[in-house]
Parts: sequence; C-alpha cells; structure tokens
Amino acid sequence: MVLSVLVAFLLYSLMAKISVSLLFLFNFLSLIVIYFALEKGEIYGACLGAFCGLLQDSFSMSVFGVAGIAKTIIGYSAGYFSGKINVTSIRRNFVFVFLLLCVELIIWSVLYSFIFSERVSTGGGIIFFQPLITAILGSLAYRFVRKLKSSKM
Amino acid sequence: MPFSLKKAKSLIILLSLIFFQLVLISIQVPMGDESNYFERVVFSVFSPINNGVVSVFQGIGSLWKNYFGLHKVQKDNQRLQEEVFRLNQENSLLRSMLRTYKTEKEILDLLLEFEGSILPARVIGMDASNVWKSLVINKGSMDGVKKNMVVLDKQGHLVGRVVEPVAFKQARIQMITDTESGVHVIPQGKNVPGIINGIGNGQCNLEYILATDTLIVEGDSLITTGIDGIYMPGVLVGHVVSVVENTSLFKEIKVVPAFKMQNLDLLAVITADVNEVF
Repeated sequence: MVLSVLVAFLLYSLMAKISVSLLFLFNFLSLIVIYFALEKGEIYGACLGAFCGLLQDSFSMSVFGVAGIAKTIIGYSAGYFSGKINVTSIRRNFVFVFLLLCVELIIWSVLYSFIFSERVSTGGGIIFFQPLITAILGSLAYRFVRKLKSSKM
Repeated sequence: MPFSLKKAKSLIILLSLIFFQLVLISIQVPMGDESNYFERVVFSVFSPINNGVVSVFQGIGSLWKNYFGLHKVQKDNQRLQEEVFRLNQENSLLRSMLRTYKTEKEILDLLLEFEGSILPARVIGMDASNVWKSLVINKGSMDGVKKNMVVLDKQGHLVGRVVEPVAFKQARIQMITDTESGVHVIPQGKNVPGIINGIGNGQCNLEYILATDTLIVEGDSLITTGIDGIYMPGVLVGHVVSVVENTSLFKEIKVVPAFKMQNLDLLAVITADVNEVF
C-alpha cells in the first residue's frame, strides 16, 4: 500500500514536469484509494482516503483538509458499495470508478468554492474529463492487477 | 434488522475522520497564510520524496545527454561561450553607464550586496489543487531560504515569493497568478501605479486604475515598484493584454505574466533583504 501511494506520488511529480494539463487530467491518488477500498473494505478506504487527501493538500496552497474530506468519503463509499454490488467486470468497474470520481470532484469543488469564495480552476475545461480518463485508466489497471493475481494463484 | 456493530464502527470511523479534517480546516481559516504544525510535518516528510523523484529522473536525463547526446555538446558549448561573452559585454556596458550616477566604490558596494544573494533552485512540484497557485522548490531553510523571499525565473521575470511551509530542503512559492497574491506595479515609463492580483487561471487583473486614466494601453509592460516592501523595484511582472472600460470606478485590465509555465524548471531565489538593498 505504501509503495502504491509512493508510485502515485511519483506519477504526480512526473506529470507536473511533463505538462501542467496532465495534472488536471489524471488523479492517481484517488485511484489508489478506490483500489484499496475495493480490496480491503470501507474502513481501510476511508483512512487511506484521508491520508492521501491530506498528502495532496500539503503540496497545494489549498486549505489542509479539503481534498482529505473528498477522498475520505469516496474511499469509504468505494469500500461500502463494493460489498453490496459486484464491480469485478471491467464495465461495471469503469462505471463505478467514474461515478466515485465525479462525486469526489463535486465534493472538492463545492468545498473549495465555499472556503475560498471562488470558482475552481478548470484548466480550460480539462478537469471535467478527469473522472472519465482516470476511470478508464483505473478500470484497465484494476483488471490487469486482478489477472496478475489470479495467474499467480 | 438491528444495526450491526461492524457497520456502526465503520460509520464512527468515517465520521471521526471527516470531523478531524473539518477541525483542521476551521483551525486554518483564522491563521491565514500560516501553516499549522501537521501540515508542516507532512510537507517536510513528503517533499524530500518529491525532490528525490525529480532528481532521479533528471539524473536519467543527464545520463542520456552526457553519453548518448554528445553530438549536441559541442553546439551547446559554442552557444554558451557566445552567451557568456555577450553577458560580459553587457555587464561592462552597464557598469560604465552606472559610473555616470555612482562612484566606483558605490558600484562595488552594490555588487557586494548581490554577491551570493542569488540562489538557484529547481521546481520539484506543483500545486495539485490549482497549478497557478504555488510551486515547490528544492531549496529550504538549510540553504538560507526564508518566508517572503522573492523568486524570479531564468530571465529575471517575477514568479512570486516564498511562503510557508519552508522545510529544511524544500519550500513553497506563492505565484503572482494566485488569487491571494498582490504585487504593486507601474507600467514602464508611465507613472500609473496599480496592484496585480492573480485570477487563478494563469492571468492577472491590474486593479485600481481609474476609469479616467488614458495612459495604460494594451502591450504595456508592468514592473514592480518596491512599495509593497516584498518585491524589489524594477522587476518585469507582465504585459497588459486588454483594457476594458465599464461602468465601475476602475478599468478592467487583464495582464499576462512575463514568466512562462513551461520554462519554470530553474528559478532564482533572492536571498538578500530587498528593503536593505534598495
């Protein structure tokens, strides 16, 4: 889990070096939170979400805790709902992750707007594609990891 | 069906985490731009990792350049020699012009003030919430970096200032494009002071220019005045791209910053106290 968070952090640093737009397009930390929430349950997801959100906030000039609350909620929701519905198929997984990322974006945007009394920067509209692109990447990665695990067993 | 203990436990944990973060948020609001200890600790722990990651990839890039890109080295060498020659000439010319206004001793004293006060730094991270708000650099308190130090890009254009938290080897820079940033400026060659505020999308507004003003036009270059006590005077900040008159008391003036985001890999932190030097 620690390695996954570090990898997500590494990808975040790399993206910043390559292009600013990539930071708006991909949300690797949330993918890590959702993945571990699916595997380990809602408590794990909520705690990991809180940690990853605070980590993201520490590297921004946003108020410390804004991204934390958003990721805590999606981490918990991912763990909770994955116990109720089957999200193992790639299509269901994609829809599930996409909806969670949309919820996270909405919660974060609302909190940000409320605290700072300003609209969030959309990067020219790129941020609206973030749930879609990240969900595609996430569901493919999730399927790959599951296949890897089943081939090892 | 009775509410199970496990579900209650997980809900309690969720609500506790959310409550803890709400408390964190509410603590910070009255602190303004001061960071709390928890944030400083997290920043201090994770910013070296960020620094390490960037260094590794720069190392790999250097390896490629040094061992596989040798054909470019000679061209770069030639270009750099020419640039050094040009800069030496420019330096010499500026010194001779300065002698018109200052004695040799005053010039030497002024140059001594600057000696060692330019600290080069690399950008190792950008703000995840809004890339136009802040950057993280790989120099910190152990290198002499302190809050409110001015930061310039490679060409000497204003990027922003150092804000908290400042870790041992990393620091955060508030950019002039941040909505909470303010820089006192005037257009070059004109005496119309105003304040530049970021608007969060990479551009800035030039505020407090009266609607009756006729001096400021599109294309004007804006430089710092030094009146704010943070930024030294004469640094290029940006260029006016639109001037709109409306019914309000002040004009609506859009400014594009002089620095370019894609060129923000190497920055200069001015460690000298600008209030003492200027």
